[in-house]
Amino acid sequence: MGQLLINGLGTGLIVALPSIALSLSFGILKFPNFAIGAMLTTAAYIAWSLNIHAGLPLLAAGALCIILFPMVALLCDAAVFRPLRSRGPVTLLVASMGLSFVLDNVCRLIFGNDARNFDIALSRPYRVWGLRINYELLVSAGVSIGAMILVFLILKHTSIGRAMRAVADNPNLAAARGIDAKRVIAATWILAGVLIAASGVLIGMDRAIDPQLGWNYIIVCFAAAILGGLGNPAGAVFGALLLGVVGELATLVVATNYRSGVGFLVIALVLLSRPNGLFGTREIVK
Amino acid sequence: MIAYLTTIMTLVSIAVLIAFALNVQWGMCGMVNFGLAGFVALGAYTTALISLNGGGFFVSVFAAIIVCAVMGAIVSLISMRLSEDYLAVVTLGFGEIIRLVTLNEGWLTGGALGLPGIPRPMIDVIGTDHYEVFFLGICVVIVGIVFAGLEIATRGPFGRSLRAVRDDDLVASSLGKNVLLLRVKAFAVGGGITGIAGSLQAFQFSYIDPSQFTAIMTAYAFMAVIAGGQGSHRGLILGACSVMFLLEATRFLKDVVDVLDNSQIAAIRLILIGAGLILLLIFRPQGLLREYRLKAPKSSPSSADSTAT
Repeated sequence: MGQLLINGLGTGLIVALPSIALSLSFGILKFPNFAIGAMLTTAAYIAWSLNIHAGLPLLAAGALCIILFPMVALLCDAAVFRPLRSRGPVTLLVASMGLSFVLDNVCRLIFGNDARNFDIALSRPYRVWGLRINYELLVSAGVSIGAMILVFLILKHTSIGRAMRAVADNPNLAAARGIDAKRVIAATWILAGVLIAASGVLIGMDRAIDPQLGWNYIIVCFAAAILGGLGNPAGAVFGALLLGVVGELATLVVATNYRSGVGFLVIALVLLSRPNGLFGTREIVK
Repeated sequence: MIAYLTTIMTLVSIAVLIAFALNVQWGMCGMVNFGLAGFVALGAYTTALISLNGGGFFVSVFAAIIVCAVMGAIVSLISMRLSEDYLAVVTLGFGEIIRLVTLNEGWLTGGALGLPGIPRPMIDVIGTDHYEVFFLGICVVIVGIVFAGLEIATRGPFGRSLRAVRDDDLVASSLGKNVLLLRVKAFAVGGGITGIAGSLQAFQFSYIDPSQFTAIMTAYAFMAVIAGGQGSHRGLILGACSVMFLLEATRFLKDVVDVLDNSQIAAIRLILIGAGLILLLIFRPQGLLREYRLKAPKSSPSSADSTAT
Protein backbone atom coordinates (compact mmCIF):
# COMPACT_ATOMS: atom_id res chain seq x y z
CA MET A 1 0.00 0.00 0.00
CA GLY A 2 2.70 2.46 1.02
CA GLN A 3 4.80 1.20 -1.86
CA LEU A 4 1.96 1.82 -4.31
CA LEU A 5 1.53 5.30 -2.88
CA ILE A 6 5.19 6.11 -3.45
CA ASN A 7 5.19 4.67 -6.98
CA GLY A 8 2.03 6.59 -7.72
CA LEU A 9 3.45 9.88 -6.48
CA GLY A 10 6.59 9.22 -8.54
CA THR A 11 4.55 8.67 -11.70
CA GLY A 12 2.40 11.64 -10.84
CA LEU A 13 5.42 13.94 -10.49
CA ILE A 14 6.69 12.91 -13.93
CA VAL A 15 3.27 13.32 -15.54
CA ALA A 16 2.79 16.67 -13.81
CA LEU A 17 5.34 18.40 -16.07
CA PRO A 18 3.69 17.73 -19.45
CA SER A 19 0.31 18.32 -17.82
CA ILE A 20 1.44 21.80 -16.79
CA ALA A 21 2.70 22.35 -20.34
CA LEU A 22 -0.63 21.21 -21.73
CA SER A 23 -2.64 23.35 -19.36
CA LEU A 24 -0.44 26.39 -19.92
CA SER A 25 -0.54 26.14 -23.69
CA PHE A 26 -4.29 25.57 -23.62
CA GLY A 27 -4.76 28.67 -21.52
CA ILE A 28 -2.75 30.89 -23.84
CA LEU A 29 -3.05 29.30 -27.29
CA LYS A 30 -6.67 28.19 -26.73
CA PHE A 31 -6.39 24.73 -28.21
CA PRO A 32 -5.57 21.30 -26.77
CA ASN A 33 -2.20 20.22 -28.09
CA PHE A 34 -2.48 16.56 -29.01
CA ALA A 35 1.13 16.58 -30.21
CA ILE A 36 2.29 16.64 -26.59
CA GLY A 37 2.85 12.88 -26.55
CA ALA A 38 4.92 12.94 -29.74
CA MET A 39 6.88 15.87 -28.32
CA LEU A 40 7.75 13.78 -25.25
CA THR A 41 8.97 10.99 -27.52
CA THR A 42 11.05 13.40 -29.59
CA ALA A 43 12.63 14.95 -26.51
CA ALA A 44 13.49 11.52 -25.11
CA TYR A 45 15.17 10.53 -28.38
CA ILE A 46 17.12 13.78 -28.56
CA ALA A 47 18.47 13.18 -25.07
CA TRP A 48 19.14 9.54 -25.91
CA SER A 49 21.21 10.33 -28.99
CA LEU A 50 23.15 12.99 -27.05
CA ASN A 51 23.74 10.41 -24.34
CA ILE A 52 24.67 7.43 -26.51
CA HIS A 53 25.97 8.83 -29.80
CA ALA A 54 27.59 12.01 -28.54
CA GLY A 55 28.74 10.21 -25.41
CA LEU A 56 27.65 12.89 -22.98
CA PRO A 57 26.81 11.84 -19.43
CA LEU A 58 23.06 11.68 -18.88
CA LEU A 59 22.99 14.85 -16.81
CA ALA A 60 24.67 16.88 -19.55
CA ALA A 61 22.60 15.21 -22.26
CA GLY A 62 19.42 15.99 -20.37
CA ALA A 63 20.43 19.59 -19.79
CA LEU A 64 21.35 20.07 -23.45
CA CYS A 65 18.06 18.50 -24.47
CA ILE A 66 16.22 20.97 -22.24
CA ILE A 67 18.01 23.80 -24.05
CA LEU A 68 17.53 22.34 -27.55
CA PHE A 69 13.97 21.13 -27.31
CA PRO A 70 12.26 24.52 -26.91
CA MET A 71 13.71 25.36 -30.32
CA VAL A 72 11.98 22.29 -31.74
CA ALA A 73 8.76 23.47 -30.11
CA LEU A 74 9.16 26.95 -31.61
CA LEU A 75 9.85 25.38 -35.00
CA CYS A 76 6.69 23.29 -34.76
CA ASP A 77 4.75 26.41 -33.88
CA ALA A 78 6.17 28.35 -36.82
CA ALA A 79 5.57 25.52 -39.29
CA VAL A 80 2.18 24.27 -38.15
CA PHE A 81 0.32 26.42 -35.67
CA ARG A 82 1.21 29.98 -36.67
CA PRO A 83 -0.35 29.74 -40.17
CA LEU A 84 -3.52 28.32 -38.60
CA ARG A 85 -3.72 30.66 -35.59
CA SER A 86 -6.82 32.50 -36.74
CA ARG A 87 -8.76 29.40 -37.68
CA GLY A 88 -10.32 28.23 -34.48
CA PRO A 89 -9.46 25.56 -31.93
CA VAL A 90 -10.88 22.58 -33.83
CA THR A 91 -8.62 23.15 -36.83
CA LEU A 92 -5.64 23.60 -34.53
CA LEU A 93 -6.31 20.44 -32.61
CA VAL A 94 -6.62 18.41 -35.81
CA ALA A 95 -3.36 19.97 -37.00
CA SER A 96 -1.72 19.02 -33.69
CA MET A 97 -2.76 15.41 -34.32
CA GLY A 98 -1.13 15.66 -37.75
CA LEU A 99 2.02 17.04 -36.16
CA SER A 100 2.02 14.18 -33.72
CA PHE A 101 2.03 11.67 -36.60
CA VAL A 102 4.94 13.47 -38.21
CA LEU A 103 7.07 13.67 -35.05
CA ASP A 104 6.35 10.10 -33.91
CA ASN A 105 7.23 8.65 -37.25
CA VAL A 106 10.29 10.76 -37.86
CA CYS A 107 11.55 9.19 -34.62
CA ARG A 108 10.52 5.74 -35.86
CA LEU A 109 12.20 6.34 -39.21
CA ILE A 110 15.48 7.41 -37.65
CA PHE A 111 15.66 5.21 -34.57
CA GLY A 112 13.55 2.19 -35.49
CA ASN A 113 11.01 0.36 -33.34
CA ASP A 114 13.48 -1.14 -30.85
CA ALA A 115 13.39 -0.05 -27.24
CA ARG A 116 16.43 2.00 -26.18
CA ASN A 117 17.87 2.80 -22.80
CA PHE A 118 19.99 5.59 -21.43
CA ASP A 119 23.50 4.71 -20.42
CA ILE A 120 22.97 4.69 -16.66
CA ALA A 121 24.26 2.32 -14.06
CA LEU A 122 21.64 0.23 -12.34
CA SER A 123 21.50 1.07 -8.68
CA ARG A 124 20.09 -0.78 -5.72
CA PRO A 125 16.92 0.87 -4.41
CA TYR A 126 17.11 2.52 -0.99
CA ARG A 127 15.07 1.01 1.73
CA VAL A 128 13.21 3.31 4.08
CA TRP A 129 10.80 1.74 6.57
CA GLY A 130 10.56 -1.31 4.38
CA LEU A 131 9.67 0.71 1.27
CA ARG A 132 11.77 0.54 -1.85
CA ILE A 133 12.77 3.90 -3.22
CA ASN A 134 14.69 3.99 -6.49
CA TYR A 135 17.49 6.40 -7.13
CA GLU A 136 15.68 7.35 -10.37
CA LEU A 137 12.55 8.12 -8.40
CA LEU A 138 14.44 10.59 -6.20
CA VAL A 139 16.06 12.23 -9.23
CA SER A 140 12.79 12.58 -11.08
CA ALA A 141 10.98 13.87 -8.02
CA GLY A 142 13.74 16.44 -7.50
CA VAL A 143 13.79 17.54 -11.11
CA SER A 144 10.06 17.83 -11.48
CA ILE A 145 9.54 19.67 -8.20
CA GLY A 146 12.37 22.03 -9.18
CA ALA A 147 10.83 22.60 -12.60
CA MET A 148 7.44 23.29 -11.07
CA ILE A 149 8.81 25.84 -8.65
CA LEU A 150 10.64 27.52 -11.53
CA VAL A 151 7.47 27.67 -13.65
CA PHE A 152 5.39 29.15 -10.87
CA LEU A 153 8.08 31.70 -10.03
CA ILE A 154 8.19 32.72 -13.68
CA LEU A 155 4.42 32.96 -13.90
CA LYS A 156 4.06 34.97 -10.68
CA HIS A 157 7.08 37.19 -10.55
CA THR A 158 8.39 38.07 -13.99
CA SER A 159 6.89 40.51 -16.44
CA ILE A 160 6.60 37.88 -19.16
CA GLY A 161 4.86 35.57 -16.69
CA ARG A 162 2.38 38.28 -15.80
CA ALA A 163 1.86 38.93 -19.52
CA MET A 164 1.19 35.23 -20.05
CA ARG A 165 -1.39 35.15 -17.31
CA ALA A 166 -3.00 38.28 -18.70
CA VAL A 167 -3.31 36.77 -22.18
CA ALA A 168 -4.69 33.55 -20.74
CA ASP A 169 -7.25 35.53 -18.79
CA ASN A 170 -8.43 37.85 -21.51
CA PRO A 171 -6.52 38.13 -24.80
CA ASN A 172 -8.39 41.22 -26.01
CA LEU A 173 -7.84 43.15 -22.84
CA ALA A 174 -4.17 42.11 -22.83
CA ALA A 175 -3.77 43.29 -26.42
CA ALA A 176 -5.45 46.58 -25.53
CA ARG A 177 -2.91 47.06 -22.74
CA GLY A 178 -0.13 46.70 -25.31
CA ILE A 179 1.00 43.17 -24.46
CA ASP A 180 2.79 41.67 -27.45
CA ALA A 181 0.93 38.45 -28.21
CA LYS A 182 3.78 37.08 -30.36
CA ARG A 183 6.22 37.37 -27.48
CA VAL A 184 3.82 35.71 -25.09
CA ILE A 185 3.18 32.83 -27.49
CA ALA A 186 6.91 32.32 -28.02
CA ALA A 187 7.45 32.33 -24.25
CA THR A 188 4.67 29.79 -23.82
CA TRP A 189 6.25 27.39 -26.31
CA ILE A 190 9.66 27.81 -24.72
CA LEU A 191 8.30 27.12 -21.25
CA ALA A 192 6.24 24.18 -22.53
CA GLY A 193 9.30 22.93 -24.42
CA VAL A 194 11.44 22.99 -21.28
CA LEU A 195 8.82 21.09 -19.29
CA ILE A 196 8.26 18.52 -22.03
CA ALA A 197 12.00 18.00 -22.51
CA ALA A 198 12.59 17.49 -18.79
CA SER A 199 9.72 15.07 -18.54
CA GLY A 200 10.75 13.23 -21.71
CA VAL A 201 14.16 12.56 -20.19
CA LEU A 202 12.63 11.43 -16.88
CA ILE A 203 10.20 9.10 -18.64
CA GLY A 204 13.13 7.73 -20.64
CA MET A 205 14.91 6.98 -17.36
CA ASP A 206 11.81 5.43 -15.86
CA ARG A 207 11.14 3.08 -18.75
CA ALA A 208 12.61 2.23 -22.13
CA ILE A 209 12.50 4.73 -24.99
CA ASP A 210 10.48 3.62 -27.99
CA PRO A 211 8.29 5.43 -30.56
CA GLN A 212 5.20 4.64 -28.46
CA LEU A 213 6.60 6.39 -25.39
CA GLY A 214 4.60 9.59 -25.62
CA TRP A 215 1.43 7.95 -26.86
CA ASN A 216 1.12 6.15 -23.52
CA TYR A 217 1.06 9.45 -21.69
CA ILE A 218 -1.35 11.52 -23.80
CA ILE A 219 -4.53 10.36 -22.12
CA VAL A 220 -3.18 10.60 -18.60
CA CYS A 221 -1.79 14.10 -19.31
CA PHE A 222 -5.14 15.27 -20.61
CA ALA A 223 -6.88 13.61 -17.71
CA ALA A 224 -4.61 15.43 -15.26
CA ALA A 225 -5.07 18.77 -17.00
CA ILE A 226 -8.85 18.38 -17.22
CA LEU A 227 -9.02 17.26 -13.59
CA GLY A 228 -7.26 20.43 -12.54
CA GLY A 229 -9.30 22.51 -14.96
CA LEU A 230 -7.73 23.12 -18.39
CA GLY A 231 -5.74 26.32 -18.32
CA ASN A 232 -4.91 26.05 -14.62
CA PRO A 233 -1.28 24.85 -14.26
CA ALA A 234 -1.40 24.42 -10.47
CA GLY A 235 -4.53 22.32 -10.82
CA ALA A 236 -2.73 20.16 -13.37
CA VAL A 237 -0.07 19.28 -10.80
CA PHE A 238 -2.71 18.18 -8.34
CA GLY A 239 -4.53 16.26 -11.06
CA ALA A 240 -1.35 14.47 -12.09
CA LEU A 241 -0.48 13.43 -8.53
CA LEU A 242 -4.03 12.26 -7.86
CA LEU A 243 -4.11 10.27 -11.10
CA GLY A 244 -0.70 8.75 -10.42
CA VAL A 245 -1.84 7.48 -7.04
CA VAL A 246 -5.29 6.40 -8.24
CA GLY A 247 -3.68 4.62 -11.20
CA GLU A 248 -1.39 2.64 -8.88
CA LEU A 249 -4.09 1.90 -6.32
CA ALA A 250 -6.44 0.81 -9.10
CA THR A 251 -4.10 -2.09 -9.83
CA LEU A 252 -5.37 -3.57 -6.57
CA VAL A 253 -8.83 -3.80 -8.12
CA VAL A 254 -8.43 -4.09 -11.90
CA ALA A 255 -5.82 -5.82 -14.07
CA THR A 256 -2.60 -3.82 -14.62
CA ASN A 257 -3.29 -3.80 -18.35
CA TYR A 258 -6.15 -1.42 -17.78
CA ARG A 259 -4.12 1.21 -15.94
CA SER A 260 -4.38 3.72 -18.78
CA GLY A 261 -8.11 3.08 -18.87
CA VAL A 262 -8.35 4.47 -15.33
CA GLY A 263 -7.34 7.89 -16.64
CA PHE A 264 -10.20 7.80 -19.09
CA LEU A 265 -12.66 6.76 -16.41
CA VAL A 266 -11.53 9.67 -14.24
CA ILE A 267 -12.02 12.11 -17.13
CA ALA A 268 -15.49 10.77 -17.77
CA LEU A 269 -16.49 11.05 -14.12
CA VAL A 270 -15.05 14.54 -13.72
CA LEU A 271 -16.65 15.80 -16.91
CA LEU A 272 -20.01 14.47 -15.79
CA SER A 273 -19.87 15.86 -12.28
CA ARG A 274 -17.62 18.92 -12.34
CA PRO A 275 -17.22 20.09 -15.95
CA ASN A 276 -14.67 22.77 -15.12
CA GLY A 277 -12.32 20.57 -13.16
CA LEU A 278 -12.05 20.16 -9.43
CA PHE A 279 -11.09 23.78 -8.83
CA GLY A 280 -12.90 25.30 -11.77
CA THR A 281 -15.35 28.07 -11.18
CA ARG A 282 -18.68 27.70 -12.86
CA GLU A 283 -18.81 29.47 -16.15
CA ILE A 284 -22.05 30.81 -17.42
CA VAL A 285 -23.07 28.25 -19.99
CA LYS A 286 -24.93 29.55 -22.94
CA MET B 1 -3.18 -7.01 -60.85
CA ILE B 2 -6.98 -7.28 -61.03
CA ALA B 3 -6.96 -8.98 -57.65
CA TYR B 4 -4.76 -6.21 -56.25
CA LEU B 5 -7.04 -3.50 -57.64
CA THR B 6 -10.14 -5.24 -56.33
CA THR B 7 -8.66 -5.43 -52.84
CA ILE B 8 -7.60 -1.80 -52.94
CA MET B 9 -11.03 -0.71 -54.12
CA THR B 10 -12.68 -2.67 -51.33
CA LEU B 11 -10.41 -1.04 -48.78
CA VAL B 12 -11.16 2.36 -50.28
CA SER B 13 -14.90 1.68 -49.93
CA ILE B 14 -14.45 0.86 -46.24
CA ALA B 15 -12.28 3.95 -45.78
CA VAL B 16 -14.90 6.06 -47.54
CA LEU B 17 -17.53 4.81 -45.09
CA ILE B 18 -15.35 5.75 -42.11
CA ALA B 19 -14.76 9.14 -43.69
CA PHE B 20 -18.54 9.55 -44.19
CA ALA B 21 -18.98 8.95 -40.49
CA LEU B 22 -16.38 11.56 -39.62
CA ASN B 23 -17.97 13.92 -42.10
CA VAL B 24 -21.31 13.75 -40.32
CA GLN B 25 -19.69 14.26 -36.93
CA TRP B 26 -16.93 16.71 -37.75
CA GLY B 27 -17.57 18.03 -41.25
CA MET B 28 -21.21 18.81 -40.72
CA CYS B 29 -21.55 19.20 -36.98
CA GLY B 30 -18.07 20.33 -35.92
CA MET B 31 -17.38 17.55 -33.42
CA VAL B 32 -13.96 15.94 -33.55
CA ASN B 33 -13.79 12.16 -33.18
CA PHE B 34 -10.29 10.82 -32.53
CA GLY B 35 -11.72 7.43 -31.58
CA LEU B 36 -12.94 6.42 -35.03
CA ALA B 37 -10.72 3.35 -35.12
CA GLY B 38 -12.26 2.26 -31.82
CA PHE B 39 -15.76 2.57 -33.23
CA VAL B 40 -14.79 0.59 -36.32
CA ALA B 41 -13.26 -2.07 -34.10
CA LEU B 42 -16.44 -2.20 -32.04
CA GLY B 43 -18.47 -2.74 -35.20
CA ALA B 44 -16.07 -5.36 -36.52
CA TYR B 45 -16.00 -7.34 -33.28
CA THR B 46 -19.78 -7.17 -32.92
CA THR B 47 -20.19 -8.50 -36.43
CA ALA B 48 -17.53 -11.14 -35.97
CA LEU B 49 -18.96 -12.44 -32.70
CA ILE B 50 -22.50 -12.60 -34.02
CA SER B 51 -21.65 -14.25 -37.31
CA LEU B 52 -19.29 -16.72 -35.62
CA ASN B 53 -22.24 -17.71 -33.44
CA GLY B 54 -24.48 -18.35 -36.40
CA GLY B 55 -25.97 -14.93 -37.13
CA GLY B 56 -26.54 -14.04 -40.78
CA PHE B 57 -25.07 -11.16 -42.78
CA PHE B 58 -27.93 -8.75 -42.25
CA VAL B 59 -28.37 -9.58 -38.59
CA SER B 60 -24.70 -9.04 -37.79
CA VAL B 61 -24.38 -5.82 -39.79
CA PHE B 62 -27.56 -4.47 -38.24
CA ALA B 63 -26.31 -5.34 -34.76
CA ALA B 64 -23.00 -3.57 -35.46
CA ILE B 65 -24.89 -0.46 -36.57
CA ILE B 66 -27.04 -0.43 -33.44
CA VAL B 67 -24.14 -1.08 -31.02
CA CYS B 68 -21.94 1.62 -32.57
CA ALA B 69 -24.77 4.14 -32.81
CA VAL B 70 -25.71 3.67 -29.17
CA MET B 71 -22.07 3.89 -28.13
CA GLY B 72 -21.65 7.04 -30.21
CA ALA B 73 -24.61 8.61 -28.44
CA ILE B 74 -23.22 7.69 -25.02
CA VAL B 75 -19.70 8.94 -25.77
CA SER B 76 -21.01 12.24 -27.08
CA LEU B 77 -23.27 12.65 -24.06
CA ILE B 78 -20.33 12.43 -21.65
CA SER B 79 -18.80 15.62 -22.90
CA MET B 80 -21.81 17.41 -24.28
CA ARG B 81 -21.97 19.89 -21.50
CA LEU B 82 -18.60 21.19 -22.67
CA SER B 83 -16.85 22.38 -25.74
CA GLU B 84 -15.47 20.32 -28.60
CA ASP B 85 -11.99 20.16 -27.07
CA TYR B 86 -13.18 17.79 -24.37
CA LEU B 87 -14.99 15.59 -26.84
CA ALA B 88 -11.71 15.09 -28.69
CA VAL B 89 -10.10 13.82 -25.48
CA VAL B 90 -13.06 11.63 -24.57
CA THR B 91 -13.16 10.00 -28.00
CA LEU B 92 -9.41 9.43 -27.88
CA GLY B 93 -9.87 7.74 -24.50
CA PHE B 94 -12.78 5.71 -25.83
CA GLY B 95 -10.62 4.39 -28.67
CA GLU B 96 -7.94 3.45 -26.15
CA ILE B 97 -10.45 1.59 -23.95
CA ILE B 98 -11.73 -0.39 -26.92
CA ARG B 99 -8.13 -1.27 -27.84
CA LEU B 100 -7.40 -2.39 -24.28
CA VAL B 101 -10.56 -4.49 -24.10
CA THR B 102 -9.93 -6.20 -27.44
CA LEU B 103 -6.34 -6.92 -26.40
CA ASN B 104 -6.99 -8.16 -22.89
CA GLU B 105 -10.39 -9.83 -22.84
CA GLY B 106 -9.18 -12.98 -24.57
CA TRP B 107 -12.28 -15.01 -23.70
CA LEU B 108 -14.39 -12.68 -25.81
CA THR B 109 -12.14 -11.18 -28.46
CA GLY B 110 -9.30 -13.66 -28.78
CA GLY B 111 -6.86 -11.05 -27.45
CA ALA B 112 -3.88 -10.19 -29.65
CA LEU B 113 -4.52 -13.29 -31.76
CA GLY B 114 -7.89 -11.97 -32.83
CA LEU B 115 -10.91 -13.78 -34.18
CA PRO B 116 -10.30 -15.99 -37.23
CA GLY B 117 -12.74 -17.75 -39.52
CA ILE B 118 -15.48 -15.16 -39.83
CA PRO B 119 -17.85 -16.62 -42.45
CA ARG B 120 -18.04 -14.40 -45.53
CA PRO B 121 -21.57 -13.76 -46.75
CA MET B 122 -22.84 -16.04 -49.53
CA ILE B 123 -19.44 -17.57 -50.16
CA ASP B 124 -20.90 -21.02 -50.91
CA VAL B 125 -23.22 -19.53 -53.54
CA ILE B 126 -20.66 -17.38 -55.35
CA GLY B 127 -17.63 -19.60 -55.01
CA THR B 128 -14.12 -18.48 -54.20
CA ASP B 129 -13.02 -17.62 -57.74
CA HIS B 130 -14.91 -14.39 -58.19
CA TYR B 131 -15.72 -13.76 -54.58
CA GLU B 132 -13.51 -10.69 -54.19
CA VAL B 133 -15.27 -8.95 -57.06
CA PHE B 134 -18.66 -9.89 -55.62
CA PHE B 135 -17.68 -8.51 -52.22
CA LEU B 136 -16.43 -5.30 -53.80
CA GLY B 137 -19.89 -5.09 -55.39
CA ILE B 138 -21.53 -5.36 -51.95
CA CYS B 139 -19.23 -2.64 -50.60
CA VAL B 140 -19.92 -0.30 -53.49
CA VAL B 141 -23.68 -0.79 -53.15
CA ILE B 142 -23.51 -0.05 -49.42
CA VAL B 143 -21.36 3.03 -50.02
CA GLY B 144 -23.94 4.12 -52.61
CA ILE B 145 -26.84 3.66 -50.18
CA VAL B 146 -25.08 5.53 -47.38
CA PHE B 147 -24.06 8.27 -49.79
CA ALA B 148 -27.62 8.70 -51.05
CA GLY B 149 -28.98 8.70 -47.52
CA LEU B 150 -26.47 11.30 -46.38
CA GLU B 151 -27.06 13.50 -49.44
CA ILE B 152 -30.80 13.53 -48.77
CA ALA B 153 -30.29 14.16 -45.05
CA THR B 154 -27.75 16.91 -45.73
CA ARG B 155 -30.06 18.81 -47.98
CA GLY B 156 -33.00 18.38 -45.67
CA PRO B 157 -33.69 20.15 -42.40
CA PHE B 158 -31.47 17.75 -40.42
CA GLY B 159 -28.32 18.63 -42.36
CA ARG B 160 -29.08 22.34 -42.29
CA SER B 161 -29.63 22.27 -38.53
CA LEU B 162 -26.35 20.39 -38.04
CA ARG B 163 -24.43 22.99 -40.02
CA ALA B 164 -26.12 25.72 -38.05
CA VAL B 165 -24.91 24.08 -34.83
CA ARG B 166 -21.43 23.76 -36.26
CA ASP B 167 -21.19 27.36 -37.39
CA ASP B 168 -22.72 28.90 -34.28
CA ASP B 169 -24.45 26.81 -31.66
CA LEU B 170 -25.64 29.89 -29.82
CA VAL B 171 -27.57 31.15 -32.83
CA ALA B 172 -28.91 27.67 -33.53
CA SER B 173 -30.20 27.27 -29.99
CA SER B 174 -31.73 30.73 -29.93
CA LEU B 175 -33.61 29.78 -33.09
CA GLY B 176 -35.20 26.98 -31.11
CA LYS B 177 -32.99 24.10 -32.23
CA ASN B 178 -32.21 21.51 -29.60
CA VAL B 179 -28.42 21.67 -29.92
CA LEU B 180 -27.71 18.80 -27.55
CA LEU B 181 -30.12 16.45 -29.28
CA LEU B 182 -28.74 17.36 -32.71
CA ARG B 183 -25.19 16.69 -31.60
CA VAL B 184 -26.05 13.36 -30.02
CA LYS B 185 -27.96 12.41 -33.17
CA ALA B 186 -25.04 13.36 -35.40
CA PHE B 187 -22.69 11.30 -33.28
CA ALA B 188 -25.06 8.34 -33.30
CA VAL B 189 -25.49 8.50 -37.08
CA GLY B 190 -21.72 8.67 -37.50
CA GLY B 191 -21.34 5.79 -35.05
CA GLY B 192 -23.79 3.69 -37.04
CA ILE B 193 -21.83 4.27 -40.24
CA THR B 194 -18.57 3.24 -38.56
CA GLY B 195 -20.44 0.10 -37.50
CA ILE B 196 -21.12 -0.72 -41.16
CA ALA B 197 -17.48 -0.06 -41.99
CA GLY B 198 -16.39 -2.38 -39.19
CA SER B 199 -18.71 -5.14 -40.44
CA LEU B 200 -17.32 -4.90 -43.94
CA GLN B 201 -13.79 -4.95 -42.59
CA ALA B 202 -14.52 -8.15 -40.66
CA PHE B 203 -16.06 -9.83 -43.71
CA GLN B 204 -13.32 -8.62 -46.02
CA PHE B 205 -10.46 -10.17 -44.06
CA SER B 206 -12.58 -12.89 -42.43
CA TYR B 207 -10.13 -12.40 -39.58
CA ILE B 208 -9.81 -9.47 -37.17
CA ASP B 209 -7.27 -8.57 -34.52
CA PRO B 210 -6.60 -5.35 -32.57
CA SER B 211 -3.68 -4.33 -34.79
CA GLN B 212 -6.03 -3.66 -37.73
CA PHE B 213 -7.66 -0.77 -35.91
CA THR B 214 -4.90 1.72 -35.36
CA ALA B 215 -4.63 5.49 -35.35
CA ILE B 216 -3.75 5.39 -39.05
CA MET B 217 -7.37 4.50 -39.77
CA THR B 218 -8.51 7.62 -37.93
CA ALA B 219 -5.86 9.79 -39.55
CA TYR B 220 -6.83 8.50 -42.96
CA ALA B 221 -10.46 9.49 -42.41
CA PHE B 222 -9.43 12.99 -41.29
CA MET B 223 -7.24 13.34 -44.32
CA ALA B 224 -10.03 12.22 -46.66
CA VAL B 225 -12.51 14.65 -45.12
CA ILE B 226 -10.10 17.58 -45.20
CA ALA B 227 -8.93 16.75 -48.73
CA GLY B 228 -12.47 16.35 -50.00
CA GLY B 229 -13.84 19.43 -48.33
CA GLN B 230 -15.63 19.36 -45.00
CA GLY B 231 -19.33 18.69 -45.46
CA SER B 232 -19.07 17.59 -49.10
CA HIS B 233 -19.79 13.89 -49.56
CA ARG B 234 -18.77 13.89 -53.20
CA GLY B 235 -15.50 15.64 -52.52
CA LEU B 236 -14.88 13.17 -49.75
CA ILE B 237 -15.04 10.18 -52.10
CA LEU B 238 -12.60 12.00 -54.37
CA GLY B 239 -10.44 12.82 -51.36
CA ALA B 240 -10.42 9.25 -50.06
CA CYS B 241 -9.43 7.89 -53.47
CA SER B 242 -6.60 10.36 -53.95
CA VAL B 243 -5.28 9.77 -50.44
CA MET B 244 -5.32 6.03 -51.01
CA PHE B 245 -3.54 6.51 -54.31
CA LEU B 246 -0.85 8.57 -52.61
CA LEU B 247 -0.42 5.98 -49.87
CA GLU B 248 -0.36 3.00 -52.18
CA ALA B 249 2.29 4.76 -54.24
CA THR B 250 4.60 4.65 -51.19
CA ARG B 251 4.41 0.85 -51.37
CA PHE B 252 6.51 1.01 -54.51
CA LEU B 253 9.06 3.22 -52.83
CA LYS B 254 10.71 0.04 -51.62
CA ASP B 255 11.53 -0.99 -55.17
CA VAL B 256 13.24 2.33 -55.83
CA VAL B 257 15.09 2.84 -52.57
CA ASP B 258 16.10 -0.56 -51.23
CA VAL B 259 17.83 0.70 -48.10
CA LEU B 260 14.46 1.17 -46.44
CA ASP B 261 12.87 -1.70 -44.56
CA ASN B 262 9.16 -2.28 -44.04
CA SER B 263 8.79 -0.41 -40.78
CA GLN B 264 10.57 2.58 -42.30
CA ILE B 265 8.19 2.56 -45.25
CA ALA B 266 5.30 2.44 -42.78
CA ALA B 267 6.83 5.40 -40.93
CA ILE B 268 7.17 7.36 -44.18
CA ARG B 269 3.51 6.73 -44.98
CA LEU B 270 2.45 8.09 -41.62
CA ILE B 271 4.72 11.11 -42.00
CA LEU B 272 3.08 11.74 -45.36
CA ILE B 273 -0.37 11.49 -43.80
CA GLY B 274 0.51 13.85 -40.97
CA ALA B 275 2.27 16.37 -43.16
CA GLY B 276 -0.46 16.14 -45.79
CA LEU B 277 -3.07 16.84 -43.15
CA ILE B 278 -1.26 19.94 -41.94
CA LEU B 279 -0.53 21.22 -45.45
CA LEU B 280 -4.14 20.77 -46.53
CA LEU B 281 -5.36 22.58 -43.44
CA ILE B 282 -3.01 25.46 -44.16
CA PHE B 283 -3.26 25.76 -47.94
CA ARG B 284 -6.58 24.27 -48.95
CA PRO B 285 -8.93 24.34 -45.99
CA GLN B 286 -11.98 24.32 -48.23
CA GLY B 287 -10.92 20.98 -49.79
CA LEU B 288 -11.42 19.82 -53.34
CA LEU B 289 -15.16 20.38 -53.48
CA ARG B 290 -17.33 22.80 -51.58
CA GLU B 291 -20.13 21.58 -49.37
CA TYR B 292 -23.67 21.86 -50.63
CA ARG B 293 -25.19 25.28 -50.14
CA LEU B 294 -28.52 26.70 -51.08
CA LYS B 295 -27.81 29.21 -53.81
CA ALA B 296 -28.89 32.72 -53.06
CA PRO B 297 -31.02 34.08 -55.88
CA LYS B 298 -28.91 36.33 -58.06
CA SER B 299 -30.15 39.87 -58.07
CA SER B 300 -31.07 40.69 -61.64
CA PRO B 301 -29.34 43.66 -63.28
CA SER B 302 -32.62 45.53 -63.66
CA SER B 303 -33.35 45.52 -59.94
CA ALA B 304 -29.77 46.60 -59.27
CA ASP B 305 -30.31 49.52 -61.61
CA SER B 306 -33.54 50.49 -59.94
CA THR B 307 -31.89 50.60 -56.51
CA ALA B 308 -29.04 52.69 -57.94
CA THR B 309 -31.32 55.38 -59.26
